Amino acid sequence: MTRSRYELVAAGAVGLMLLAAAAIFLYAPTDALQGPVQRIFYLHVSSAIAAFACFFVVFLGGAVYLWKDNLAADRLARAAALVGLVFTTVTLVMGMEWAKPIWGVYWTWDARLTSTLVLWIIYAGYLLVRRLASPGRQAARFAAVVGIFGFADVPVVYFSVSWWRTIHPGPIVINDALPPAMLETFLFTMACTLVLAAVMVGIRYRIETLQDAQPMGEVVPSAAVTSPT
Amino acid sequence: MRSFRIAAAVARKDLLSEWRSREMVPALAQFVVLALVIANFGFQIDSKSAPAIAPGVLWLALVFAGLVAFGRAFTAEREQHSLEAVMMTGAPPTAVFMGKALGSAALLVVCEAVLLPALTLFFGTPFSFGLVMAVLLATIGMAALGCVFAAMVAQLRARELLLPLLAIPLWIPFIVAGGQAVQVAMGASGALDQALWLLVDLDILFLVLTSLAARFVLDD
Repeated sequence: MTRSRYELVAAGAVGLMLLAAAAIFLYAPTDALQGPVQRIFYLHVSSAIAAFACFFVVFLGGAVYLWKDNLAADRLARAAALVGLVFTTVTLVMGMEWAKPIWGVYWTWDARLTSTLVLWIIYAGYLLVRRLASPGRQAARFAAVVGIFGFADVPVVYFSVSWWRTIHPGPIVINDALPPAMLETFLFTMACTLVLAAVMVGIRYRIETLQDAQPMGEVVPSAAVTSPT
Repeated sequence: MRSFRIAAAVARKDLLSEWRSREMVPALAQFVVLALVIANFGFQIDSKSAPAIAPGVLWLALVFAGLVAFGRAFTAEREQHSLEAVMMTGAPPTAVFMGKALGSAALLVVCEAVLLPALTLFFGTPFSFGLVMAVLLATIGMAALGCVFAAMVAQLRARELLLPLLAIPLWIPFIVAGGQAVQVAMGASGALDQALWLLVDLDILFLVLTSLAARFVLDD
């Protein structure tokens, strides 16, 4: 793809997100109990799903890399990890803003919250391993191991904490407790968020490809380039 | 069978070298006692609050002692480049890895043999079979996971920095289940055997996963 085509796709994804915002604020009805704050729900759950999708790509990319020694799979995992971390951050911050008026606290050690926080920490560690390992095969192999362990660990954390205690509401989307207008808004927002995540991963993949193509193998930090010698 | 012999030989080598130098165990024992001293000044501890505070102190001390023990597991190997020599013998990486994990788990068990009685001595909490079982069961899985990441970070820059960031999130299930078991063993209400069985399940799961991963963190 040429540069202008990337810009076009990115603009399209942003446009879709604006449409989703319009649906959230203009189309979806106000929640009878929680009031306007419930509108956080649409993007909160959508970005959680986008984050999980990204981390699943990290897991798959890592597994394919270890199995087939395929550098493209590793680049894809690298791109998805960064985007997934961004969406996890969005999920956590929006969740805290929603929790304060409804639960009265920003944070509680519930299974979903704890496992999402652990997810965030694991993939932040993933990106650190990438940075500290020598670039190339070592970074790819170690990161793949971290990505796979992280992906396996999150359901285990979720299970062990929910065995312990939980207060987070269950998945209300599945047992169709949502009125149709809310469900439509949610599904539309989720689709738009997934498109945005895919576009971000695509652009990041392109950046990783260009960085890998550099003859040095490692990108010189910008500070080292700009500082006077 | 050969794999078991190799794992035992690697663990024996590590323990023998520890026995000759006697570096780690005294340092770790001192470290956990110091952790209890800090807890004593950080918390207001009396006979009523001790059972509520002691489990947290135990896991904090154990997690950080574990990080020190596992962080050192591959230091000597890296400095002497002896791991390459071991790998060149054609021994299966899983067996070598299990030997390393066994060796560092044994060090941590020695450190627990200091920590648990010291906890009872300083905090006056009950010392029971359930407490010992919870700590030992958690040690198995924590050692396996800790050694995967210790082997990895030994080959990286800033290893002391990275090991806690990678290991602690993966230890959380053990701390949740082990924490619950220790709380029950110290008088809180709850099901002790349920927590212990959960620890057994977690041990099996992570022993399988780490033995699969061993090849990718040891081979170079």
